This record gives sequence, structure tokens and C-alpha cells, in this order.
Amino acid sequence: MSKVVVVDDEPFILMMIEDKLKKGNIDVVTVRESVRALEIIRREKPDLVILDWMMPEVSGIELCRTIKQDKVLGKIPVFMLTAKGQDSDEQLGMRTGAQRYITKPFSPKVLLEMVREALSNVNP
Amino acid sequence: MTRSRIIYRLIFLFVVFALMITVPFTLTMISQVKRIVTDAPALKAAQDAGQGMAFGELSSRLLDHAVPYIFYILVMAIMLAIFFSRKLMASLNELHRGSVAIRNGDYGITLRAYAEDELAEVIRSFNDMTSSIRLTTSELRKKDMYVNAMLDPLWVVDDMNRLVDVNPAFVGLFGYQRDEILGFAIDLFITENPGAPKRDDYEVMRHNGASTIYEADITTRHGTRMPALISESPILSDGAIIGKIGILRDFREQRELREEIQRSRDYVETVINSIEDQLMVIDRDYRIVSANHIALESFGEKIIGEPCHAVAHDSPEPCWAEGRECPVRTVFGSGTASRVTHRHVNPDGQARYHEIVASPIKDLSGNVVQVIELIRDVSDRIRHEEDLFLKNRELVALNSIAGILSRSLRPDEIFASVLDKMIELMKMGGGGIFFIDEQNKDMLCQYHRGISDEYVTQIGRIQLGQDIPGQVAMTGQIITTADISTDPRVESSMMKNSGIKGYCCVPIRGKERIIGVYCLFSFKSRDFTPEEENILVSIGEMTGIALENIRLYEKMKDLYNAQKQRRDAEQDQLLSLTAGLGSEGDLRHAMGSVLEILKNIFHADYAWLLVRDSGGVLVLKASSSDKEPEDSVIFQCGARSIEDHSLEIRGPVVVSDIPKDTRFYIPAEISGPLYKTAVSVPMCIGEKAIGVFSLYYLNSRKFDDEELHFLKIIANMLSVSLERYNYYTESVAEKGLSAAVLQGVRDCIVTVDTGGKIISANRSFERLSGIRPDGERGLHLCDAVALQNGNRGLGEALKECLDAALSGNTAARESVMVTADNRRILMKIDSAPILDPKGKITGAVNVLRDISREKEIDTMKTEIIRSVSHEFRTPLSAIVGMTEMILDGDIDAKKEREYLQTVFNEGVRLSNMVSDLLSIAKIEGGMEKITVSEVEMKSFFDDLMASVAASLEKKGAVVSCDTGGIKSVMADGPKLKQVLLNILDNSLTFSDRGCHIAINVKKGDNTITITVRDDGWGIPEEDLPHLKERFFRGRHGARIKGTGLGLFICSEILRMHGGSMKIESIAGAGTEVSVNLPITGPK
Repeated sequence: MSKVVVVDDEPFILMMIEDKLKKGNIDVVTVRESVRALEIIRREKPDLVILDWMMPEVSGIELCRTIKQDKVLGKIPVFMLTAKGQDSDEQLGMRTGAQRYITKPFSPKVLLEMVREALSNVNP
Repeated sequence: MTRSRIIYRLIFLFVVFALMITVPFTLTMISQVKRIVTDAPALKAAQDAGQGMAFGELSSRLLDHAVPYIFYILVMAIMLAIFFSRKLMASLNELHRGSVAIRNGDYGITLRAYAEDELAEVIRSFNDMTSSIRLTTSELRKKDMYVNAMLDPLWVVDDMNRLVDVNPAFVGLFGYQRDEILGFAIDLFITENPGAPKRDDYEVMRHNGASTIYEADITTRHGTRMPALISESPILSDGAIIGKIGILRDFREQRELREEIQRSRDYVETVINSIEDQLMVIDRDYRIVSANHIALESFGEKIIGEPCHAVAHDSPEPCWAEGRECPVRTVFGSGTASRVTHRHVNPDGQARYHEIVASPIKDLSGNVVQVIELIRDVSDRIRHEEDLFLKNRELVALNSIAGILSRSLRPDEIFASVLDKMIELMKMGGGGIFFIDEQNKDMLCQYHRGISDEYVTQIGRIQLGQDIPGQVAMTGQIITTADISTDPRVESSMMKNSGIKGYCCVPIRGKERIIGVYCLFSFKSRDFTPEEENILVSIGEMTGIALENIRLYEKMKDLYNAQKQRRDAEQDQLLSLTAGLGSEGDLRHAMGSVLEILKNIFHADYAWLLVRDSGGVLVLKASSSDKEPEDSVIFQCGARSIEDHSLEIRGPVVVSDIPKDTRFYIPAEISGPLYKTAVSVPMCIGEKAIGVFSLYYLNSRKFDDEELHFLKIIANMLSVSLERYNYYTESVAEKGLSAAVLQGVRDCIVTVDTGGKIISANRSFERLSGIRPDGERGLHLCDAVALQNGNRGLGEALKECLDAALSGNTAARESVMVTADNRRILMKIDSAPILDPKGKITGAVNVLRDISREKEIDTMKTEIIRSVSHEFRTPLSAIVGMTEMILDGDIDAKKEREYLQTVFNEGVRLSNMVSDLLSIAKIEGGMEKITVSEVEMKSFFDDLMASVAASLEKKGAVVSCDTGGIKSVMADGPKLKQVLLNILDNSLTFSDRGCHIAINVKKGDNTITITVRDDGWGIPEEDLPHLKERFFRGRHGARIKGTGLGLFICSEILRMHGGSMKIESIAGAGTEVSVNLPITGPK
């Protein structure tokens, strides 16, 4: 079973994603405190990471950069799921290495589709 | 090895070897013979035994032995001799080889010498010979090559002049094949040109076999003839000429050149002989080499070979030695042409002037070898020049005198200057001027030069007819004398003994009479030529007339001055009129004065001025009497008056007898006294009659044309002033209106001229920019703006707009302006050209509008949309995403509630944001109001804590609250709570978990201060000044959600309470927010 780590400081977002993905038979690990995110990702070795941008302590975009620059974690696909909806933000996200840039509000159904697609590329 | 004769050596060797072999052999032979001999008994026995002939046998046996031996010995000796003479044999072989090579024509061979013997000598000689042959051969080959390569034809003939050989150039030139012509006489092809110049010893040289060069004509095979230069050299053998070598050179060009030179020479000669000047060629020794026929005619045939100075000056020395400029020497020295004029004296004693132009004749290397002199007789010219010079001098003097006369009107100056000029012109020692006293019939010296005052006093008065000046003054005839001391006409002994010699006395002649005389004298005897006398007479006449003119002028001047005074008086009157009309102020008053003046000038008894109003009715504007009420309407009845008539005919009307003239109606206003005469003058602007003025007289009076003309002028002036006054009044009204508008508007309005200089500016501009147009007048607007408060950017933007406007376009720019009170505002500049009625650009008007607020609102709108849309996204995620999941049936019933709760919470969050936005809108629009009531502190803070309890718990924060014993404050409770909630929320948001927050309330003078202090992240220093700005998100804003509206709303709420908020923070150490409120609420 594929595993996805979701990092967001809003508990209800984590809940939504967790519920939706689990429903889609995907194992989900949620992280609320972004400072712990990296440690958990290293531990869990997920197939996909979904990151919020605006989080206290460590921002999602910093996390994304760190993941992408890491030799081991670098291969894990990252989705940015954020309220920052400006074009310039999206460009920055994609440049940093995000595979998808999804703006809030989002449809959990569509997110699941995207996650599935990304996972099928990772584990065909 | 010593040198030896070969043969001796051979023999010597042979003998040696023969001996070497023979001696041992002989010894053997001897022993053999001895053995045979000793064996004689045996022999005998043998003989005896019948073997007979034993001795003969012995001899034969000996011979048998000896012959082969001897042969052998000889062969051996020869072989050894030959062996030891092998070098000799090698030399012989070499020689043989050499002979074979020579036979085959190979001269390149070099033989080797094996020994130092005779053969070696032979071999060396052989080698020398072959190398010599080789050299010669190569030399010959080279020569042959040269000959063949020569471009000039070359031939060789034998002693009979028959061709022996020719080179390819010869073949090429003549067209014959070499073999065809060999053996033929060279004369067949080349014919000596008998006419060509030759050296004198040419024939001798030819005879003696010396090389010769001569000209010839050649004929080619094709019949072409051409001139050629032949160079012939003999071929000598044992002193005898055995043939000749000839070289031919194409002589066509040279011959043409020579002919050309000859022609030129002929031409030059013709030219030289045809010129009318003398021409000589002179060498370095000043000897005449050649001369043209003019020179020969002039100086005689024998001048060739004579020195030029002897011929021209009859002098034994060259000119330079005698102090004259010598052209020949100059040319030889400088190498360039020289021109001098020499004075020669003819044999008949007459002086002649010769202009000599000497030019160098140079050889090829540029050295001057001869000088060619062109001598022209310029005596006539020189004489004319001298004459001309004299005439010119006179003319100059006359001219300067004429100049003095025309320049000056002061007789003193004129006579003094003229006297000086005359003395200078005539080269006299001095002189004086006597003027005739008509009354006394005598003369007195008034100006003098070169004589003392005492002398003049001594002379005193000269009676007319007395002495020379008296005679001249009487007769008007000039008198000159070469020597006064011997002149019988002189009576005064004083003059005779004064030392004066040359003397002349010239009359100063006016139009009809003699005015005086000029006397000029010199201390040298002096003749006066008729020309000089003529000049002197002319000067006398000129000055006389000038003097009369001056007198005439003085008279005229007096007359003129008298007239001028009269005219000035009139002008003064006019001036007082115009001064009255010139002022634009009180026209009515001015008209009154004008009328008064008019009345005085023309001595009228009554005067009035009527003006047509807009309805065409004549209205009294001024009168000489103050009885009539002003502005009273006259002639309403439409009756015909003098004034009407003058207006109708557009000209002055004079009525000389009013009571009798029944044509006109006399208005009641003036019908009191019985006026006899009236003049009425209309005032018109073009065709438009705007009024009329009239003068009334009690007595009869006539007006001449001049007076009527004067009145017309006054009428014109009055009408112009009236019109101008009307315009002025109108324009003042308009101007006032536009000025009011201009000054009233909030926008800045500046007008500039075409040079960009400020003409005017309204108050807004002055206030905002601090530039006073009066102070900055003459300064370029852009410079003035740029200098003020460092508004360089604005200055540049203005300049762009101005440039556009001054070239006829409108332009608009935006730029930040720092105002006089140091605010930064955004200005929109609109510039447009100001056009005069003809469409010419006379300047530009610039409108500067403060668009900061508009811009701000614009920015705010964008900010709101950006920030709100961002902040709305998260709660919307819950609402959209969760409802979608519920609808999709993803959520079980148990969890559904939790989902709905979240949707609700986030909905509330959204609604709070909208409230915030509305608050802002209200604050911005000035709609936000506060409702002040007593807020009890304790319950207020309890309520506050309860509100934040959940958040505090979530963050693990510890809060202390000290109300400082303050009971209550007058404030809008909910709004104050909103403020504190916002501050607390910020403290929690920007702090780590487990942070500490302390709330303290303190009482000051009429105020309370609520302080909220945390130990959170603090605020970066650069963010501090902007915290209260709308939508400002500090550095933490990058990762913390928020609208950036909270603190703005807080500070606005506090401002409405009459309070304030202060934020102090150290990054990393925490923040302290102090809220200050008046205890009694807002005033």
C-alpha cells in the first residue's frame, strides 16, 4: 500500500485529506507541526508528500526545497497544496521542485485522482 | 721521393732488381759449375766411357740451365721494376683519360697527379688548360646570352663591313633572318645620316678605329625607315682592325625631342626678339652673353661679352659695389627672380627709369648658370606715379579739409584745423588767418601758427589795401612770393625783416564778399606752382562758404528754437490731455479733465461730452459745468441736434450762428445762455461712432483747418480711451472670474511662457510646492520644481510634459512630489499649449493634481482582493472540500458532525474576515462610530480571558493579568475588546508554544494604559514603522496567515476613542503593545 505524508497546520485539512486518501486505499501520515515534518518523512519514506505553504515555524516551500535537495528524499514527488494562488507563487513552487501545485479551496476527489496518478508513476 | 727522370728511374730499378736476382743465381750457378768441374773425373770417365763430347754436353747442360734462369731473372726484374713504378703508370692512365675526355669535348675534366714528377707537371698543365678553357667558354656563353638578350640590335662585321653575326634584336628590328643577311654589307641596312650633328673629330676617330657614335637612318625589310643612334666599336687583333661591333638604338623619340627643342628655341628666339623690352642674358661674371635686338638697338651692337654694369651704367664696378641693388647678384644668390627699378642716364643726359626683372636660368641640377634680364623703360609710368602721388596728397588734404568743414559747426575749430592742414599740405613754417572787420575796414589776425602772440600783437590791425594781406582782401586775388624780403609789394619792414621768405596770402571768399585771408609763410625761399595756388584758392573758397553756411545755420537755429518753444507749449497741453486719458482708472474723471483742458485751449464757454449707450442713446458723460446730473439721458426725444449731425456725417460740425441756424435743436440743458457758436466733433472707432463732444461759445468764433484737425485728433484719442476703458472693464470682470476659479481649485495650475518660465501659478501650487511665482519669475518651471525639496523626478516629468505642450501637443505624466511641508504625494501632470488667436503657441498651462488618494484607493483595492482572496481560500477549503466529501458519501455518520462543525467554524471565520473588511470600509468612509459607556475593568478582562482561553490552551501559553486596581473606563466595550483580542491573538500567533503574556493596566493623568507584553519572536526593526498600515504583513507574514488589517483597525478604534497605541519590540526578545485611553472617553 502506498504511503502519503501530508503536512498542514490546519487540522481540518489534514482530516479531510486523510479521510479521502484512506478511502482510496492509500496510507496517510499527517503532520501538523512543520518542524517535525522532515523527521517523519525520513522515517516513513512515503511515496508522496503533500505540503501546505503557509505554516508557522517552517514554511512548506522551505520543506519542499529541503526534500528536493536531499539525496534520498529528493526522488519523492511533492504536491504543494496552498492558499497562495498567485501566478508568481505557483511558478516559485514549481521551480522549487513541486510536481503539482494545487490551490485551496480544492476538491478532495480531484486531489485523490492526482495522488493516484502520481503514485502509479512511482509504483507502476 | 726525390724528383728523377723517369727513364733513369726505370733503368735504376731494373738494374737493382736484376742484380738482386742475378747475384744469388750466379752464386748457385758457380757452385753448380764448380760441382760439375770438380766432378770432372766423372765427366772424364763418362767421356772416356765413350760417351764423347762430354764437354760439349757440359756446355749444353750449362746453357740449358742458364737460359731459363736468365729469362726468369729478366722477367722478374721487369715485373718488379714495373710494380715499383705503378704510380708512373697511373699518371699515364690519367693522361690517357684526359685525352679521351678532350676528344669528346668534355672540358670539365680534372686529372689527378699521383706523384711529384714530370707527369704531375703535365697533369697540372692539363688541368690549368681545361679550367681556362672552361672559364673562357662560360664567359663566351654569358656574352652570347647577353648579346642575345639585348633589346638593342647588335651586329658584328668583318674588316670589309660585311655582316658576320647579328643578335635576335637585330633580327627582330630588321625583319631578316640571321642566315639571310650574313655576308651582306651593313651599309645596305644602315645609312649614316649626313645631316645629323657630329663631333668635330668624328672622321678622325672613325679612321683611327676609335669607338664612334653617330646618327643613321635604317630601312627594315618591310620598308620602314626610322632614325637610329649607332654606336660602333672596332674589333682589334694585333693592333689591326679585323672588324667592328655595332649597336643600334631607336632614335625616334630623341629626334622628335630634338626637333621640339629646336622649335622651342626658335619660338623663344622669336618671342625674345618680338618683345619690346630689352632682354639680356648675363653670366656670373656680369658679362652679357646674349641680347635681343631691342637691347642691341638700345645699347649698341657691341655689348655682347661686355659687363652689364659697363653697358647700362657706364661703370667699371657692378651695381652692388656702387650701392645700387644688383638684380644679377640677387638672382645668383637666391636662385629666385628679382625685380628692381634702376635709374639710367642716357647719353643725352636725360634720366630714364628702367624696371629690371631678372630671372634665373638653371641647369639640370638646379644651379643658376645665367640670369635673364628683362629691362623695361618705365620712365613715363614713374613720372605719372609721381604726379599721381602729388595729386593724391593734395586730394587727401582737400578731402580732410572738406571733412573738417562738414564735421564741425564751430568756426574756431574749423579755421584752426584748416590752417594746420594748409601748413602741412604746403609744407610751410606757419601762418595766420585775418578776418575783415567790415565796419573798421581793416583786418585782425585771429588764428596763428608758428609765430608768437607778441608778433601778432605787433602786426595789429591791417588796413584793407595795405600790405599783401590788405591787397588780397581788397582784390580777392591770391598773392604768392618766393622771397618776401625782396618783394616790392611788401610795405611793412617788420615783415621784411622777420626772416620769412616764402609767403602766400589766400583770400577767404564767401558767396558775395571776402571774409578774410589766410597767410602762410616759410623760412625758406619757396616757389608756388600754379597748381598749388589753385588748391590754396579752392581752400579759401571752401572755408569761406563753410563760414557763411555756419552763420546761416546759427540763424536757422535761433528760428528753430523759437518755433520749438511754441510747439513744446502745445505739446505740453496735448500731453496733459493724454495723461488724463492714459490712466485706465476713473475714466469719467479723466474725461472731465480733458474737457476742461479743451475748453481752456479753445477758450470755449461751455463743453460737454456725450457717449452712446448700448441702446444708441446719447448719454452725458462729462461737462464743463457741474450743474448737469451725470449719466442723465439727453436727446431722448430724438430731435436733431448739432451732435447728431456730426455723428451722422462722421466729421466735425461748426455752427457759427446758432440762433440763426434753424437746422438744429438745442437741448434744454444748454439752452439757458445764448450760445452763438458751436463745434461738435464725433468720436469714432472705425465706422462705429461711440460719442461726441462739443464746445459752445457765447461769441462768434471761427475755426481754421488746423484747429479742426487738432480737435479730430483729440476726438480720436478720446474714443480710443473710451473703447479701451470698456474693454478693460469687461476684461477685469472676466479676469476676476477666471482668477477666482483658478485660485479656488484644489489642483495646482501653473502657466509658463515658451521658454518654460513661470508666468503665473495659483495658490494651490504655491502652497504645495512652496514656490512663489513672484520669487521664481524668470526661472524655468522645471528648474524651480527640481530645486524645491529635491523634486528632481517631478522636474523631469514636468519637462517632458512641457516639451510636448510647447511643441503643440498635450501630455500627461505621473510623478511623486515632495511638498513644501515634506509630504510625498503622487502628482498627475497634465500640460497643454496656450495658443494665441492666430494659433501660435505662446506658452503652456500645467495642471498638477494630487492623485495620491486615488492611487492609494487603487492599491488598496488590489491589496484587498489579493489578501482577501488568499485568506478566504483556507476556510473555503473546509466548506467546499468537506461538503463535497459529505455529499459523495465519503464520511460516515459519526464523523459527519465533526465535518459539519468544521464547515461551520470556518464559515464563521470567513464571516469575521468580512466584518473586518466592512470595518475598514466604514473607517475609511468615516462611517464607523463608537458607542461609549462605562466599561468595568474586571468583568471586561474576565470576559476577554474567557474568549482567548481556548487559544491559550492550544498554544500552552501562560497569561497574567493585572488591572492595577482601576475600576472602569469610558469606552466602547466591544470595540475595546476587539482591540485587545487582536493584540493577544498577535502575541499568540507570533510566539512559540509555552510563551508568556503579561497584561498590565496603569492609570496616568486622565488616561489608562493597558500593556500587553509577550516573550515571543518580536518584530523585526524594519517592520516596526509600518505595523499600523493597512494590509501590511511583516517579515513573519510570509508563513503566518493574516489579512494585515488587525492593527490598522485597532489603531483606528483607539483613534476614535481619542487614544493611541504604541508598539515596542526587540526581534527575538518579545513585544510590548501599549494601549492608551482617556479615562473619561473621547471628547
